Amino acid sequence: MRIKVWGARGSVPSPGPETTRYGGNTSCVQVTLSDGTIVVMDAGTGIRNLGLTLAGPAPRVNILLTHLHLDHIQGLMFFAPAFRPQTEIVIWGPKSSEASLESRIARYISAPLSPVEVRELPCDVSFREAPATEWEIGPAHLRAASVTHRGPTLGYRLTEGDRSVCYIPDHEPGLGASLHDLTPEWISGYDLAHDASLLIHDCQYSDDEYPDHVGWGHSPLRDALTFAHRVESERVLLFHHDPLHSDDFLDAFAGTATERWCELGGAAERLELAVERREIDLG
Amino acid sequence: MEGQRSLELILARNLLSSISTPAFLVDAEGVLVFYNESAGGLLGRRFEEAGKMSAEEWGAAFGPFDNHGQPIPFERLPLTIALREGRPAHASHCIHSQTGEQHDIEVSALPLVSTDGGFRGALAIFWPMAEAQEYGG
Repeated sequence: MRIKVWGARGSVPSPGPETTRYGGNTSCVQVTLSDGTIVVMDAGTGIRNLGLTLAGPAPRVNILLTHLHLDHIQGLMFFAPAFRPQTEIVIWGPKSSEASLESRIARYISAPLSPVEVRELPCDVSFREAPATEWEIGPAHLRAASVTHRGPTLGYRLTEGDRSVCYIPDHEPGLGASLHDLTPEWISGYDLAHDASLLIHDCQYSDDEYPDHVGWGHSPLRDALTFAHRVESERVLLFHHDPLHSDDFLDAFAGTATERWCELGGAAERLELAVERREIDLG
Repeated sequence: MEGQRSLELILARNLLSSISTPAFLVDAEGVLVFYNESAGGLLGRRFEEAGKMSAEEWGAAFGPFDNHGQPIPFERLPLTIALREGRPAHASHCIHSQTGEQHDIEVSALPLVSTDGGFRGALAIFWPMAEAQEYGG
């Protein structure tokens, strides 16, 4: 299972000289399974660059949307395979009692926000609400679970053999609770992330920034680290960087994160900040 | 380890643990899975001491009864109505605390239904009438 980060930024794309190293594209992570099956987690602006690598007749592409905030779907309209009739795209996302997944996504891919409508996309696209029970894509088993964020939001876990990646890019599990003290059953996302080979998790804010953003659906560093420590994931990728965080800020933030992680008993080499184009081979 | 609670119960518990209004939380099977510190003060026992209780256990432990001292049937309790009928319910009754005190309370219960329509449980808030009078209620 190979992982590639195509966008690690949260909230809004933030291109510019201050963000060239960590990248300014919003959430998108590619998972390539042992048989070549491609699973894309979220369709932020990072998916545009991913699409450019899928030249020629692409196989079926599965896109797992955690939720429908713009920073997680904005790249859909610029995903090159969506404009090829021979491509099959399956888009998975959270269920809502309000409207179907397709209808909710069509609010973005429709006038006046978009020059094309969903029904006009040349590819064979289908929309599926993520089931409450485990399902399969290629050789991988998938699970989805609702997690603490604003609005219906999922985290995902993909498992192939004994390797697994858990993706929870927007998550505020410490809202109104102490993650140190809660028993596992009461921690949002615990089961999904427990013992994952790689946990990709929200860490939008520093602890100093968090008091001004409580309830916005994102984690400060202390909660991201505590969550990762509690769920005992093998490796951790801190994700969904705040658009105001420059490369220099994130370098310093990475140093602080590593120190705090080691204080919790973690190994320094098992924790890193997500960087655009970073590739990780989980074996 | 217990199975993972639904997000709706987790959020409800986080809310209840952050407010001073006494409140109960039960899961979809009616098991009392949490009550907050204020409810613990009213009931005479902290949740950490009491632990989880089945519907029959919490009904018996806190013995809701009417103004004539008669036990209120389990199926008429607001929390039971919220659980079984999936609708809000309200009532006035008395409860016994574990320390032998009696409290006149108002109870409002409401079902917890997820955005995908799944029934997750119910919560009940309690308002001691003595405090209501104190606040001019």
